Parts: sequence; C-alpha cells; structure tokens
Amino acid sequence: MLLARVAEEKIASLFRGGRITGGVFLGKGQEAISVATGIALKEGDIFAPLIRDQAGRLAFGESLLDFTLTYLGARSGPMRGRDGNVHRGRPRDGLLPMISHLGAMVSVVNGMLLAHRFQGKTGTVGAASLGDGATSTGAFHESLNQAAVEKLPLVLVVTNNQYAYSTPNDRQFACADLVDKAIGYGVNGHSVDGTDLAACLQVIGDAVRTAREGNGPQLVVASNLRLAGHGEHDDSHYISSHFKKLPLGRDCIEVAQSHLLRNGWADAPSLEVWARECAVQVDEAVAFALREPAPDPALEEWCALSHRHLAEGNPGKP
Amino acid sequence: MITYLEAIREAQRKALENDPRVYLYGQDIGLFGGAFKATKSLAQSFPGRVIDSPICEDAMMGSAIGAALQGMRPVIEMQFADFSTVGFNQIVNQAATMFWRTGESCPITVRLPSGGTPGSGPFHSQNLEALYAHYPGLIILTPATVEDAYSMLLEAIALDDPVIFCEHKYLYYHLKAESLPETALPVGKARIARTGRDATVVTYSAMLHEALAAAEELATQGWEIEIIDLRSIKPLDTDTVLASVARTGRILAVGEAWPWGGVTAEVLARVATDGFNLLDAPPMRLNSKDTPVPFHPNLWGTHRPTASTIANALRDLLRL
Amino acid sequence: MPRIPIVMPQLGESIAEATIVAYNIVAGDEVECDQDVLEVETQKAVMGVTSPCSGRVVEWIAQIQSSYAVGETLGFVECSEEEARRLGLDGVPPEPSPMRESLPHGFSPADAAAAPFLQSPPPQKPGGGVAPTLRGLPVPAHASGASFLSPRLKARMAELGLHAADLAGIAGSGAAGRLTIEDFEKFLSQLDQQQLSQASSMRVAVADAMRRSWTRPIATVGMPLVIDPLLAHRKNSTPKPGPALYGLRALAIALGENSALAGRLIGDKIVHPRSIDVGFAVEAEDGVLVPVLRNADRTPLNALVLRYNELVDLARRRRLPADATGGSIATVTNFGSFGLEWATPIPLPEQTLVLGMGAGRVVPRWDAASASFLPATEAHFTLSFDHRVLDGGGAGRLLVRIAELLATPEGL
Repeated sequence: MLLARVAEEKIASLFRGGRITGGVFLGKGQEAISVATGIALKEGDIFAPLIRDQAGRLAFGESLLDFTLTYLGARSGPMRGRDGNVHRGRPRDGLLPMISHLGAMVSVVNGMLLAHRFQGKTGTVGAASLGDGATSTGAFHESLNQAAVEKLPLVLVVTNNQYAYSTPNDRQFACADLVDKAIGYGVNGHSVDGTDLAACLQVIGDAVRTAREGNGPQLVVASNLRLAGHGEHDDSHYISSHFKKLPLGRDCIEVAQSHLLRNGWADAPSLEVWARECAVQVDEAVAFALREPAPDPALEEWCALSHRHLAEGNPGKP
Repeated sequence: MITYLEAIREAQRKALENDPRVYLYGQDIGLFGGAFKATKSLAQSFPGRVIDSPICEDAMMGSAIGAALQGMRPVIEMQFADFSTVGFNQIVNQAATMFWRTGESCPITVRLPSGGTPGSGPFHSQNLEALYAHYPGLIILTPATVEDAYSMLLEAIALDDPVIFCEHKYLYYHLKAESLPETALPVGKARIARTGRDATVVTYSAMLHEALAAAEELATQGWEIEIIDLRSIKPLDTDTVLASVARTGRILAVGEAWPWGGVTAEVLARVATDGFNLLDAPPMRLNSKDTPVPFHPNLWGTHRPTASTIANALRDLLRL
Repeated sequence: MPRIPIVMPQLGESIAEATIVAYNIVAGDEVECDQDVLEVETQKAVMGVTSPCSGRVVEWIAQIQSSYAVGETLGFVECSEEEARRLGLDGVPPEPSPMRESLPHGFSPADAAAAPFLQSPPPQKPGGGVAPTLRGLPVPAHASGASFLSPRLKARMAELGLHAADLAGIAGSGAAGRLTIEDFEKFLSQLDQQQLSQASSMRVAVADAMRRSWTRPIATVGMPLVIDPLLAHRKNSTPKPGPALYGLRALAIALGENSALAGRLIGDKIVHPRSIDVGFAVEAEDGVLVPVLRNADRTPLNALVLRYNELVDLARRRRLPADATGGSIATVTNFGSFGLEWATPIPLPEQTLVLGMGAGRVVPRWDAASASFLPATEAHFTLSFDHRVLDGGGAGRLLVRIAELLATPEGL
C-alpha cells in the first residue's frame, strides 16, 4: 500500500507537471481495503478493480510498469494508447480492465466464475470493487442478484468513502447501512473499518475464504473517507470537515504505520527505508515509461474486430 | 419441412453438440424452451448448458463477456430484441470494445428476436440492427431464409467477435424449407435473391420476402427487378450492391427499421459516394414510418413497408 | 339467425398456424359465450379456442389433426340477433357513445369518428404519365433526348470522350423522352456499322471551342457596304494589305473608342478588355487558326501589313508562336474569300464579337447627283455578338461606325 501511495503521488505530480494526458484518479485513503483484497486473492482468481485500487492491483500482481506505461500512454503498455489511466487490465491474468460505467464489471466477474464452473475449475474466487455510488445502479442490482442465484464465489467489495464524486451518502442511498443490502439479495454481508489495515485483512480474508469454500457471494462494505479529489482535477472542497475529524477520516497508511510501530514489527528508520525503496522503484518505472515510444497513428491497425477480414474500414474514403 | 425457428434451434443443438465451450443463457430458455420455443428440448438434451437467467439483460450480457474471456462461447437469448436495450451498455461498451482495448477476443452470440408481427406493439417489434451496427467491434447478421438462419447462426457462434444475430419473429413459423443446408455463403457476403436489369432492391430479413413479392408484381408489367439480400448488415457487402447498381442504374433500399440514419441510409450513402456514376436516378429508400411500432394490425401493416408500397416505390423509381 | 365464425386465434406473437387437437363440442350442441369449444396445439402449447357468443355450434369446418392459419374460419356458431348485437358481432357501425369521451388525451373524438378504425390500404398511384415533381425530386419532364443526362450516362460519355452535342441525333426512349443508357449503347453499336474516320486534332479543338461558345445566345446583324474606296486604296498600296486587315483595323479603332462593346459578361460584371488585340481567322488544313495583332487600335494600317502577312503565312504552315495567338478580344473573318456573300460566324468562346466580311459584287446603285444608277462594288459586313452583352442597337451602331471608317480607308 505504501508503494501504491508513492506511485500515485508520483503520477499526480506528473499530472500537475503536464506530463499526463487524461485524468488521474488516486486511491489515497483507500489503500488498506484495496490491498487487503489484492492480498486475499490468489493466482487463478479474478479481480475487477475500480479507480482507487492501485494498492489492490499491485498486491494482485499487476506490474508497476503497466501502471506507468498506461498513465503515460506508451505504445508498449497493455492498452497501447487505446485506453488510459485506470482503464487497464490483462483479462488473461484475471485482471479486468474497467469500463467507466459503474457496476458494469461485476457481471463480467460472474461470467468468468461461471466459465470456471463449466470448465471444472474449483476453488477460484472473483472480487469486484465498487464505491458507494455504484450501489445505486441497476448493474449492481442485476449482477449481485445474478451471482446470488448462481451461488457464485463473488466477493463484492464496496468502499463507502462518503462521496460519489461530489454527491454525499444522503443523496445516494436511504438505507441505514449499505451492508443491509446483503439481506435483500440473500448473501453474506461484512462490515469493516476501511482505515484499519489489520481489520481489512481480517474481514476481506474471511469473506474470500467463505466464498472460496462455496458459500456464495459475499458483500463487504468498508467505510473510510476519500483523502483526494474524485480525480486530480477536483479540489474536493465539498468534503465536509466534519468527516476529517472522525475516525473514518484517518489516513489508513498512518494508521498502519502506528500499528507496526506499536507492535514492534518495524521501527521508524525501517519505515523510512521502505519509503525510499518505493520511491526508487516508482522512479524507475516512470523513467522507463517516459522513454517508451508513444502510439503512432500510422502504425495503428484501426481494426475493432479480431477477424480482420470482416472489418469494414472506412467506406467511401478513397 | 423445417421452419426458420426450427433452423435456429437446430443450429444451437449442433453448436452444443460440436463445441463444449458453447452454452445458452436467457430468460425462460431452460425446461420451458424459450418464449418462442427456440430452445425447446435443448435443456433436456444438454443438461447444465441451457441456463435460465433472472430478468437482467445487463448482467446476462456482462456474464457472457466474462465467460467469453475465459474461453466459453455463450449464446444469449434476449427474449425480444426490444429488451436488449437494457443490456445495451454491456454490449456496446464492454463486448464491442474488448478486443480493441485488450486484444482479447470476445466470442458472444446475442440472439435478438426482432421485427414486427401483428399485434406485437411498440415493445415487442423493434429492429435494432442499425443501432448495434453503429458501434465498432460488433458483427450484425440478419438472416432472411431458413437456410441462412441455420448456417449464419452456426457461423456466428464460431466467430471470435461478438455477433448480434437479428432473427425475425415473423419468419419463425411463416418460412419453411425442405432441409437444412450443408454449405453456405460466408458472413459478409450478400446474395442476389432475384436477378433483374431495371432496378436493384437492397434489403434484408423479413423485407426480402415483401420485396420478392413486389418484384413478382412488377414482372407482370414487364419490369425486371434485381433483389439483393444483404444477409449481414455489418460487414456490409458494398461490392455486390455496387455491381448490381452498375447493371441496373437504379437502387431502392428497403428496411423494416426506422428511417433515420439506418441501414438503408448507409447503403444509399455508399452508393452515392462510390457509385454516383452508376446511377440513372436518385437513390431511393423505403422504411417504416418514424413512429413507434403500432399495435393494431391495420396500423402495423401500414407502418412498415409491404410488397405493395415497395412496388409503388419501384414504379416511382423507374419513372425517374 | 346470424352465423358467427369461430376463427383460429393468434396464440403467440410469431405463431402462423396451429393444429386442431380435439373438439369439445360436437356440431349441433349448445355453447355458452367464451366456452372452450376446441383445442389447438402450437409449438408452444395446447390451448382452448373459445366460442365468440352463446348459441349453437352449427358446423365444424376444421378437421382434427389438420393445421390452419391464424384467422382462418374453423366453424360457425348460430346465435340470436340479440346476442349478436350485445357482443357487437352484427356488423353495424358503432354509435356515438360516452366511452369516446373517456378516450385519453391526444385522441380527438372527432378524428376517431371521422377516420374508420379499420382503414383500407392506401390507394396505389396510377401507373404511366409523369408528374412534374416527385417527392421533391426534379423529374425530367422536358428531358427529351440529351437535355437530361443521368450521372451514369454522363460517366459513360466521359469515358468515351463524348459530349451532349454528339448525342443530339438520338431520340430518347426513357421517362419523358429522356436518353437512357440503352439508347446510348444502341446508338454506339449502330455507329460501328458505318464508316468511321479519325477527326484531326485541329477539328476536335475547333469543335470544342464552338461547343463552348454555343452555350451563349449568339445573334448576328449585317449591312451592305460600298467597298470601292477600300479596293482603290488597296490597289494603290505597296505592299497590298489583305482585305481582312481593313476590317480588322476599322474594328480596332471602333473598339478603341468604346472597349466595353467587346467586354465579357461574367455574372453581374462586365469584364473590360485590357488592350485592343484583334484576331483574324486563317483557314489551315482541317480547321481555323486565329493569329492576333496586338494593340491594333494604335498602329496604322500600313504598319500592320508585314506582320499580318507574316502571321498568315505562319498560320497556314501551322507554325504560329505561342504569343501570336490567344488573348484577342474580337475576331475578323473574311468569309468572302470563299465567295460567300453572307454568313453568321460564331465568336470564339472567350470573345463577345466576330466581324464577318462577305464577297464583293458589282451592283447598280442609285446616284442622286446624276439621278441615275451607277455601278458600285458592295460587300455585306456582319457582326455576330453575345446577346447577353450587346443588343441589336449596340451591335448595329458598332457596325455602322466600322462602315464609316472603311468609307475613308486612307484614315486607317
């Protein structure tokens, strides 16, 4: 989670330095729940991250280069300049590239788990990340219900960071707690303090294990506060200072560091060493990506079909 | 005799038999056999591979995309083409963009029971081929014959790209053939359904049969109308259309769908662009009226093109 | 008593037909309205068909195990007049009813009453004849022959290097008499049966110029002129100026006085000549060349002779240098050299005027002084002009001015 924080801060800096085309979306404050998800998943599992899942992506096994190459629009990145920033993934490795339509990735995870069932692959789990805003969509409802009907090993991690862009919870849903929704779908519900890494590891670990053991979908609701704008273009002035004083307004990395120090698992100098090591890794990955060639329209295939002979080209163009 | 509907069922049966990656997913398609019986008895023959879905077109499509990414070949039955708009987002934003974004193919077949039948009304009659054809990354098929319903559905399932398979409900029982074909034209090739020298009608799906009837009527007045069945909307076989217009000098494009920006508009745009010098008369088109599809058979019969209105349009075209 | 048909229902949106499984009622039995009277089977289900009214089933047409299309009559129920009326089965149009008032907003009761619910199909347009416009598209109502050419025909003509004028001899057989591609190809194949020879490039160039010029309304005025003074002047000159040079010089002087007469009309503007450069027609092989004398209004006749003779010679040998042709604002043509007295020459496409000179002949001319006819040599001078630029009056005054100038050739 520290590497994610350092990497994202670097990208944010590049964004503010005019080196990034398109948006930059940070997971600041959300690293604990995200990394816990990535850690709980194993090879062969499915992960559909959302925009604040840099920590989970790294923990799931995504290369830091995929991150920098995509943000910097390199031709050699996984999306080859065709898509950018957080819209990256490698479906073959179980890492799905999110589309912008919230809730839309959950049923894709369902389908992959369904395929595992057809193919006799057992013991796999699929996790999908959502925010509080996505729980309002029809896609959320359809896909969670579908997973419940099919008893799929889906872990739906909803991080309630109090705001969907600028919209606060009270304009997003009217239930007392999002985890109550689990009852309506007939799935297990779990709540966790999203600022507490230890709690996240525990609860997500339990949820993933329960799903892996064949007990159907698990809905995890983590609470925290978004410690950045929706994107780096957003100053998040609308976030109430009231939240910042609450426990859920804590920075999960600071909480985790105190936890390490308090338990004697690390001392202050080693924390500094870790931070420096992360910075070195990030700088290397950024430097590599900056040197990579940008996509070239003349070399682009401009073909949206895998069967090239069925592609239409540009009719009427000489 | 085998009907258009039975051809669709047999194609699914054959695909299930020959390819263990194939499964069917849709509302009421299991033991019930589907709203139109397109999957009748398949659930019994292929246990666990013909699956009833909840009413969730978005999640139906999303799960098909996930399964396709994991190596399966899902065949999704939308109960009516009209309902596919609920799953529109997954089809056009996820399935259609998948190969472009990730280089991973997304072999899904989405069956859309399309088109009007008497009494079906605004929400059970729509023709959405142009809507989907607008999006890059999709293949759109519109079979007009029993033979094509069979062979094109098999090819759709075999293709590695997402296919929107627009089967026409009116043809389900009205169209019959002696037997199923062994071979077929490939996707992307139009078929000349009737040869002629005076004008070309370009059409597809159920309108093919209205156009053939119109041509028969005009033949009694000495006109020889050439009729092209597009078979696939995307890719569109522009070459066959232009070659026919080169022979006849006149074109009428006919579609049951709405007029604005649809398949007929696309066909005429291509002819006007690439074949202007082939034309003896302004290119013409005929579509349904620009209103929702009406319920009552009298209104419905006037809303869409028919043999009689096609024949009238052709008489106008031949005068120009 | 009314006989009400029992018909095959639409048992599903895509169902076209169904098979009769069983009768619940035998012919002759009484039935209640809405009672199941027979069972039919489709691919989807077995379903009952109901009686449309209470009465007696009087006849079954449908056979067990046979299939019938949706809407086909399967049998008949006979019922009372009262029952038929109650159920609206009596074929009488509906009367005004309070139910109309409850129609939802947007449906006008008046409209609903005026337009029968069961509309007949739209009437077909009568065949034959050509309407002046059709759905906003221009119909070639007066398109006989080559005056309307389709894109396809134009493309074929372009491929063969043909022009609309080449097709003037073909009567069209298409709509409104227009020329069809079939007419065109037939015409071409007929040409192949005749002797064909290659037109010279000069001929093709002249044809092109004349075709372009003929897109304008060209008119001609003319007048006889006594040319004895001109002939006398010529006889006494050394070297002798060509006859056309007299006309050229007179035309140049007249245009020097008012160059707008040789202007060209482009849109709503008259384009004035920059200088009075006048051409003259020289027959050469299979065509005509037009060398130019520059600033002919400023150079006296005798100073033009040598250059004129040189250009005639170069033109006949087809050796005219590039700067000796083109850019002229009007042309003189001496058709009299062919023995012709009258002609209507066509100006070059980039010119508004052409002055023509006929052959001279001796005619008796009334001499007022001697009160007798005296012999005089007379030639007709013509002026063809673009009627868009000039009218008959303007052209006539220009020709009269030329005549005045030619009457005193020593002033040229």
